[in-house]
Amino acid sequence: MTLALVLGGVLAVLVVVAVARPFLREPAPASDTLDEPGELERRRLTLTEERDRALAALKELEFDHRTGKVSDEDYRRQVGPLRRRAAEALRALEPRAEARHARVARPG
Amino acid sequence: MIALSVAAVLAIFILYTSIAGAGTPEIGPSTVGQHAGEDVLLVGTVVGHVAGDAHAGGMRFLLKDDHGASASRTRVVYSGSVPDLFRTGRQIVVEGTLRNGTFVAKPGSLVTKCPSKYTPAKSKA
Amino acid sequence: MAQLGRAALLLSFALVAYALVGGSLAAWKRRRRLALSAQNALVASFGTTLVAAIVLWVALARRDLSFVYVAQHTSRSLPLGYALSAFWGGQEGSLLLWLLVLTGYASLAVLLNRRTRELIAWTVPVLGGIAVFFALMLCFVSSPFATAASPADGAGMVPSLQNPYMLAHPPLLYLGYVGLTIPFAFAMGALLARRTDERWIVATRRWTLAAWTFLGVGQLLGAHWAYVEIGWGGYYAWDPVENAALMPWLAATAFLHSVMIQEKRGMLKIWNVTLVALAFCLSIFGTFLTRSGVVNSIHSFSQSPLGGWFLGFISIVTVFSVGLIYIRLPLLRAKTKLESLVSREATFLYNNLLLVALALTILWGVVYPLLTQAVNGETRSVSKPYYDFFLHSFGLPLLLLMGIGPLVAWRRASLRALGKTFAVPAAVSVVTGAVLLALGYGSSTPGLLAYTFSAFVAASIVLEFVRGRRAAGSLSRLVARNRRRYGGYIVHAAILLLAIGIAGSSAYQTIRERTLQPGQSMQAAGYTLTYESLQTRQLQNAQQTSAVVQVSRGGSHVATLHPGKSWFPVEQSASNDVSIYHDPRSLGDVYTIADGISKSGALDLKVLVKPLVNLVWAAGFIFVFGSLVAMWPDAVEQRKLADRYAAVPV
Repeated sequence: MTLALVLGGVLAVLVVVAVARPFLREPAPASDTLDEPGELERRRLTLTEERDRALAALKELEFDHRTGKVSDEDYRRQVGPLRRRAAEALRALEPRAEARHARVARPG
Repeated sequence: MIALSVAAVLAIFILYTSIAGAGTPEIGPSTVGQHAGEDVLLVGTVVGHVAGDAHAGGMRFLLKDDHGASASRTRVVYSGSVPDLFRTGRQIVVEGTLRNGTFVAKPGSLVTKCPSKYTPAKSKA
Repeated sequence: MAQLGRAALLLSFALVAYALVGGSLAAWKRRRRLALSAQNALVASFGTTLVAAIVLWVALARRDLSFVYVAQHTSRSLPLGYALSAFWGGQEGSLLLWLLVLTGYASLAVLLNRRTRELIAWTVPVLGGIAVFFALMLCFVSSPFATAASPADGAGMVPSLQNPYMLAHPPLLYLGYVGLTIPFAFAMGALLARRTDERWIVATRRWTLAAWTFLGVGQLLGAHWAYVEIGWGGYYAWDPVENAALMPWLAATAFLHSVMIQEKRGMLKIWNVTLVALAFCLSIFGTFLTRSGVVNSIHSFSQSPLGGWFLGFISIVTVFSVGLIYIRLPLLRAKTKLESLVSREATFLYNNLLLVALALTILWGVVYPLLTQAVNGETRSVSKPYYDFFLHSFGLPLLLLMGIGPLVAWRRASLRALGKTFAVPAAVSVVTGAVLLALGYGSSTPGLLAYTFSAFVAASIVLEFVRGRRAAGSLSRLVARNRRRYGGYIVHAAILLLAIGIAGSSAYQTIRERTLQPGQSMQAAGYTLTYESLQTRQLQNAQQTSAVVQVSRGGSHVATLHPGKSWFPVEQSASNDVSIYHDPRSLGDVYTIADGISKSGALDLKVLVKPLVNLVWAAGFIFVFGSLVAMWPDAVEQRKLADRYAAVPV
């Protein structure tokens, strides 16, 4: 009975400490605002995802072509637009990405 | 496109349910008289003595409504597997047809609503 | 110690309520320290719930009958393992398990995703809100820590639950049910934060897969428990409680597939958040079904006060998620469109429609008795024929799609290319169908179709591996470069085995029943069973009577079986002890049930010969293996993702 009470009390104290910890650690922080992605960052995130998607699609297309799932004709028709999309995303992300873009776009 | 396919699937589905008139009615001994000759699920509590052998000639017992004070009893004749939990006082479901005042159950259709998988019988203490 | 349990639960309640209120405030007003504090509260709630759980476990282990819960679910003679499993044998305990698993998952999710500051800030209150419901039930409606004067002995445990499977089946199922909460909470968090990127999907990909695996394995274990313990010879009976787990599993399966389209093509955003909400609602509904007694089932339950609470909670969750998705519709509109109806995306879409349609028809079947009761006052229920009809009309096309999908290229596939890739699998399936027909397996059309389709799927999976291996150099390199794809194929192979096993054991089974005197024999599908004698045995808490039955095939003895019955004096009930011979040649079972044992020694023997049924259980192992392959962290991918989100750390 008393043991239960003591244990319960200890538990309650631990819980309060855990919850109050962020305030105890930084009683007077320089900034207490939660970061929020700005318009620019949101756009950048979308573009990065767009880039990764295009690059992954290209890789998969190559592989499917090699295994014979995608015919030569389908491959030729799709590879162009996909490369263009990847290049666009890369260019929008960083202007200096031209070099990397060239590496990606090289056939083979 | 998506909407169209969903609609098509739903159409098949509604067609089926309306044609098959889906579902077997679940009824108790007090109302089974209105469904004589139909295939129904009879739901009730076993009362009185259980006679006969389910594997030879059929087991006979009486059912009453699970709830309410209705005095009506239905005589059931059943053959086939008898669940472990079957006995007087248990709630059961059995599928069959009422013929000449006796409910003839489909072999093997007897199911007991066990006191429960999750909430066992009230403590005997 | 009951007070400690109660106090710990009250603390849990306070903590998750703080996570809900404080977390919402922090995310809304953008307070960093408050957000961190709400996260800590969620983690701490796992600690306090764990303390409560340990208190209950200790009470169960010590058979402390002053706990009402312990007295109702155990007895002094109950073996320790089963006493511990009584934790989830009753309503209060299983609610506690829900909360324990939920807070555990939530803590892990918080700790793993602390860097996604904004997303996690909005996810925490959603998780807190869900936990508040369960904590509320445990503290004020259905407490596992109620106490009373100790009775002389407990009520014991229903004999059919005294089975090793009950140690694993319910916890796994709960790990699955509750696991679906995490993707739901992240999806809602992302919507609340107006995020249109795919961070939430990346963060929850493995959760969904893990929860789905647990749910699948949990169900399979439950099926096996029913098979070896309940003793009617089947493993799935479309019971509401079984359907309760199948529905969220189907919805989660649909989600796992359609989320790939969003990742690859940026499409179907609305559909995906809807699916994840549907899967979560169905998992809550599943818990509600097994807990409320609102629908009759063989596992039926007495009416409990929880019904109304659960219904209210499901309504709130549904209104919240539908409303939120509706408000955020403008954000979710996709820029890309489906390019062709003959593409991988399109097959995924068909697969999704069929899976969701199947889940919804099952849902309709489950609530049908309630609806008819409400509409015309007469309860009507649907049974096996209804479910079988939809399993055939949606399940068989799904099976076929499993073979077609992998062969079709993304975006657009020309029919010429398709013809080439389809040639081999199509030929294999036609030959298989013809051979089966010639052998006389045309007796069951769905069975024949299932096998023909299975041959197609099997051929297409093998083809994928063979061609992939040729292109990648070696099998291990092939799997390593795309674990999710090839893990997925392994899971497909498991589903295939499952389908073959189900079709074989249901469409082609043989059932024979006879009353035998000692010395007499009976025949069933080529097996001869001879009843020799009876024997009795005293177990720890039961008395067992079993028959000695010799099984032979083609004149040679293959097994000795002991079907019988056990009598449990504390629980005042009997239990069937089925006895099974696994035939390694046919991968099937000879399943014997002692339906009746008379005083004179006559035995009512029921024999079921179920071909290929062992494939169903074998499928479980392959399923887990495939899921693990798909879940295994991929270093290259991790680096890529880290790189992607390093630039925008919120």
